[in-house]
Amino acid sequence: MSWSYVLDLLRISLHAMVPITLTAVGEIIGETAGLFNIGLEGILLTSAFVGALGAKAGGPVVGLLVGMGVGMAIGLVFSVISAYWKGTQMIAGIGINLFALGVVAFGLIKLGAPGFHAVPLGAQLAKLRTPMGALSPLIFVALVLPFLAYFFLKRTRAGLILKAVGENPEAADVAGINVNLTRLLATTFGGALAGLAGAYLSVAWFGSVTKEISAGRGFIALATVVFSGLNPILGLVGGFIFGFFQSLATWIKTFPTKTIPWQFVDMLPYIVTLLVVSGVVGRVRFPKALGVPYKRE
Amino acid sequence: MSQTSKRSDGETRDGYFLRAERITKIYSDGTVAVRDATLELHSGEIVGLLGENGAGKTTLTKILSGLLPPTRGRVVSPRGRVRFASPREARDFGIGMVHQHFALVGTFTAVENVALSHEKALSPLRLAQTRARLESLIAESGLKIPLNVPVEKLAVGEQQRVEVLKVLSRDVDILILDEPTSVLTPLEVDELFGLLRRLRDEGKAIVLITHKLKEVGSITDRVVVLRKGAVVGDERTSDVTREQLAQLMVGRSVGTTTGRAVELSTEDIPAGAGHPVKGERGPGVLHVEGLTVAGDTKPVAVHELTFDVHAGEIFGIAGVEGNGQTELVEALTGLRRAVGGTATIRGKNILGLDPRQIYRLGVAHIPEDRWVLGLVLPFTLAENAILGVHRWAEFRGPLSILRWGKINAHVRALMDRFEIQATGPGAPAKSLSGGNQQKLIVGRELAKDPAIVIASQPTRGLDVGAAQYIRDTLVEMRDRGRAILLVSADLDEVLALSDRVAIMYEGRFMAAARPEELNREKIGMLMGGVGVKGEA
Amino acid sequence: MTANGVRPGERFLRGVHRTLTGLHPALESVLAAVVGLLVGAALMYVWGYDPWRAYWALLRGAYGGSYEVASSMARGVPLVLTALTFSICLRAGMFNIGAEGQMYVGAAAAVCVAYFQLPAGLHLLVGIAFAGIAGALWSLGPALLKLTRGVNEVISTIMFNWISRFLVFYLVAQVLVDPRRAEKTVSIPVTARFPILMQGTDLSYSVFLAVALALFAYFLLWHTAVGYEVRAAGLTPTAARYGGISIQRTIFLSFALGGVGAGLAGASTTMGLPPTYAIISGLPELMNLGFDGMAVAMVGRNHPIGILFAALFFGGLNAGGRVMQFYGSNPVPLEMVRVVMGAIVLAMAIPELARIFPVAVERGRKLAGVFARRKPAAEKEGA
Repeated sequence: MSWSYVLDLLRISLHAMVPITLTAVGEIIGETAGLFNIGLEGILLTSAFVGALGAKAGGPVVGLLVGMGVGMAIGLVFSVISAYWKGTQMIAGIGINLFALGVVAFGLIKLGAPGFHAVPLGAQLAKLRTPMGALSPLIFVALVLPFLAYFFLKRTRAGLILKAVGENPEAADVAGINVNLTRLLATTFGGALAGLAGAYLSVAWFGSVTKEISAGRGFIALATVVFSGLNPILGLVGGFIFGFFQSLATWIKTFPTKTIPWQFVDMLPYIVTLLVVSGVVGRVRFPKALGVPYKRE
Repeated sequence: MSQTSKRSDGETRDGYFLRAERITKIYSDGTVAVRDATLELHSGEIVGLLGENGAGKTTLTKILSGLLPPTRGRVVSPRGRVRFASPREARDFGIGMVHQHFALVGTFTAVENVALSHEKALSPLRLAQTRARLESLIAESGLKIPLNVPVEKLAVGEQQRVEVLKVLSRDVDILILDEPTSVLTPLEVDELFGLLRRLRDEGKAIVLITHKLKEVGSITDRVVVLRKGAVVGDERTSDVTREQLAQLMVGRSVGTTTGRAVELSTEDIPAGAGHPVKGERGPGVLHVEGLTVAGDTKPVAVHELTFDVHAGEIFGIAGVEGNGQTELVEALTGLRRAVGGTATIRGKNILGLDPRQIYRLGVAHIPEDRWVLGLVLPFTLAENAILGVHRWAEFRGPLSILRWGKINAHVRALMDRFEIQATGPGAPAKSLSGGNQQKLIVGRELAKDPAIVIASQPTRGLDVGAAQYIRDTLVEMRDRGRAILLVSADLDEVLALSDRVAIMYEGRFMAAARPEELNREKIGMLMGGVGVKGEA
Repeated sequence: MTANGVRPGERFLRGVHRTLTGLHPALESVLAAVVGLLVGAALMYVWGYDPWRAYWALLRGAYGGSYEVASSMARGVPLVLTALTFSICLRAGMFNIGAEGQMYVGAAAAVCVAYFQLPAGLHLLVGIAFAGIAGALWSLGPALLKLTRGVNEVISTIMFNWISRFLVFYLVAQVLVDPRRAEKTVSIPVTARFPILMQGTDLSYSVFLAVALALFAYFLLWHTAVGYEVRAAGLTPTAARYGGISIQRTIFLSFALGGVGAGLAGASTTMGLPPTYAIISGLPELMNLGFDGMAVAMVGRNHPIGILFAALFFGGLNAGGRVMQFYGSNPVPLEMVRVVMGAIVLAMAIPELARIFPVAVERGRKLAGVFARRKPAAEKEGA
């Protein structure tokens, strides 16, 4: 096994880390404020698709921005239903996932070749040349963002407000904080990050869209959030671990000697997620009002 | 920010600060909480807002503090009409409210909690400044609190001090306190009242919500009585007697319905007013020895407790809430594991058993929180009436099939016997009033024909009639030779019903005696942890 | 704000409001379905289709005749079963979104009956048992993780879905593979197939299995002490514990029973849906039946009887969608059906949808009034 193989694996892992970390950090912000968005998978899928269209029309940056916009819009819908209309968050999230599945599959058919759509090379986000090989610039965003989020949660008053809204919305309300608006902003922000992650998949990483492009990354991000205990820096660590195992599966597949069936390798990240989550849960305390709509009366 | 005082010197003592004019509040479910109520607040005056549970006191003050919009009516100040669309606006106007359920974020420290209600959202977090301000405020007011501990780890009295400091830190003109004394020991009450008097003398307007007549007499300058949402009296405190106030509050003359102390919570109990024991005190039913139980946040909530409860007696446990009563009851009913010690019912060990096994030994449990423990609110009356006994052969046939016919008949019998007002066995429990919900629980538990009834805060939040009914029922059970363990924060209730009383403080009994052996001063000291025996 | 007089329009709106909120929850499901169909129509319109022609084709394809109704019912059968999985667990307070994976495993287990021979009826029963047991066993994973490690069941069931997906991929490709045709598993022998109920249609006797399980679930939940415990634990776990109910037990039971439902959904598809009677590589016949079942469960208000009606509706959408995708010069792809389903579920997430409608109308009216007042000329009363 040569050194370059290992370097390859590391590079792929970093790329695989990006969507999980970005999505997880956004969801950490949202869950801190008390909303649990299981619809991340749908956001990733939709924004991967729409982001690809945006990139085709206006270049990679436009594609990423369009993806973020789509993510924000879906996050907004989710938070209006959950925060303002006191809907069941789990059901709203499931609805988003179903809806996304339909819209993207529908859209891919509409574009011609069913199930697959390539992003032209010129519309893909260029990679940076580094000693480690070509790396997507978003890797650096994903490496820095968790630290900013950490600072935001720990050291700013807005972070304090977010935590108060998630822990005891009534107390926040009495303190003059608009609980629903805070939750809306937090989840919309989370949606935007998931949207960026989705657009990254098609515009910066794979260079194509399929109707299975999200491949459970939204759900893995949810698991990462559990793993992180709402600490964005641990979210980064978790994102890397999950990204690594995903890459390992692809990596092993390319080996000439097939020792274990590829299906088992593909299972690996999910099994690892289960192991990590079952080892970690219990020590972490989540906001008291997580998943509970706030009603004043 | 808070530094800018809104107190204008134009207002004199006889002018008003704020007036709620003809306020009516109808909730979305149709409940009329406040009807046509007018309340005037003056600077340098403490107003007592007196009324029973559900009289509309809290709703009225929530409207004043911007938490709820009134359905009709308006709030005016000398500067004109004020409209509070949010708590923030009320706050900026200079109104501060100390809530009954503290508006504190449990995971935050006192400093963080205070910081939360200050400053602009996008300003940096200046915890050091907040801390300095808080420290000077502590020095001024004499309210001592730990600053670096999450408030959920503090004792209830300390949490209230945090709440008061939080409100004071905003430099308020109008201070509203909702039942502030219900969680305090008599000593802490004195401290709080001292502070309120000082604040009044500084020119603040203070509203004290209470249902305790004694407090009205000792601290207020003026008293406003609410009954069923309407203002039925607005007098200078010096002009009315306690009896008159009690009558206004309840709406009929007090203490004449039965021989037992009726409006217990409104009147002082004459010293030594125990209950005459009708039956003989029977054999011991519950025997507890060296029982130690851990709490959710405290490692030891109940500390090596030893006591007996006999058949034919009511053993009352008094004390300020949060001193281990909840954990004790949970340990005795299988809801919480004990750390050490033994507990037996009629000789059989109950520690380590699950609730159903304990019920089989003849235990009925009237839980302290009927919404969390006692009832499944969306369930019907019938479904709630079999909670805990749903596996009894009476209700469950072969193949685990429920006998709805028998269950419904059982519920109708309960409704008759316990005067439960409901449309029928199929009515959802949440559609019942609090009193009827509690009667349903009491009926269900007593229908088990238990050897011992463990009743925790059985009359909390009930109107006078329902509370009295439940007290009578407990006494009746006692007279029929059952053992009763009564845990209540209502001191008067415990003293009036119990044959023996224990005062609980920080997980220990400060004393156990017959009620006539205790006087209020002594109890007050014991509740505050001042040991009379000198052992604690 | 100042005037307390009620304008006639307001009175009307309040009347509508009262009527809507006073009615049975079933109405909200219908309303959600209407909202979903409207969203679908809007999208079709935007994307250049003719929604009315498409829906007309869909309606005819779903319920236009006995053949169509039978076809809708056939599509509804697995949905009933996976919906029961979700509902039973939700009644116990658990968000089990693992029906998808449990169904895959059940289907794979059902295929195993192809490796031995038994008399006709018995062979079918053994297949059903295999699938049910396999589904139940697979669902115990998340249940045990929940009970022993406190792992959120949403996370664990999602992970189990992916694991089972790859596991079944593997089984289909390597273990159960048809030696003559590598793209599918061995076929289930005739003796273990659900007989066709209506000749010329897909509808087999598996429909009775679905209805029977729904009725069983109803009876269990509302007429036995076990079901009572499950519902109490799901609604108010603290009160259930006070009532001597073991939450662990109810969680375990609901997952096991739910797993049986999902496993049977796999069996009903592989053993009861012509023409393949096998699992095809990539699982096209099975894919998403578990997720669609959640939508059915919600529209069916998590009530077994409601689920039967909701499944007929969604089965109709699927069956009709197959007709719709070939209808006319500009046919609408089948995927539109899933868009509609997603929109319906989103609408179901809004509590008291019926209440929000009139409020929204009222708000809109007020807003319109504000704009009307801005106009310098018109300062009239009323809007």
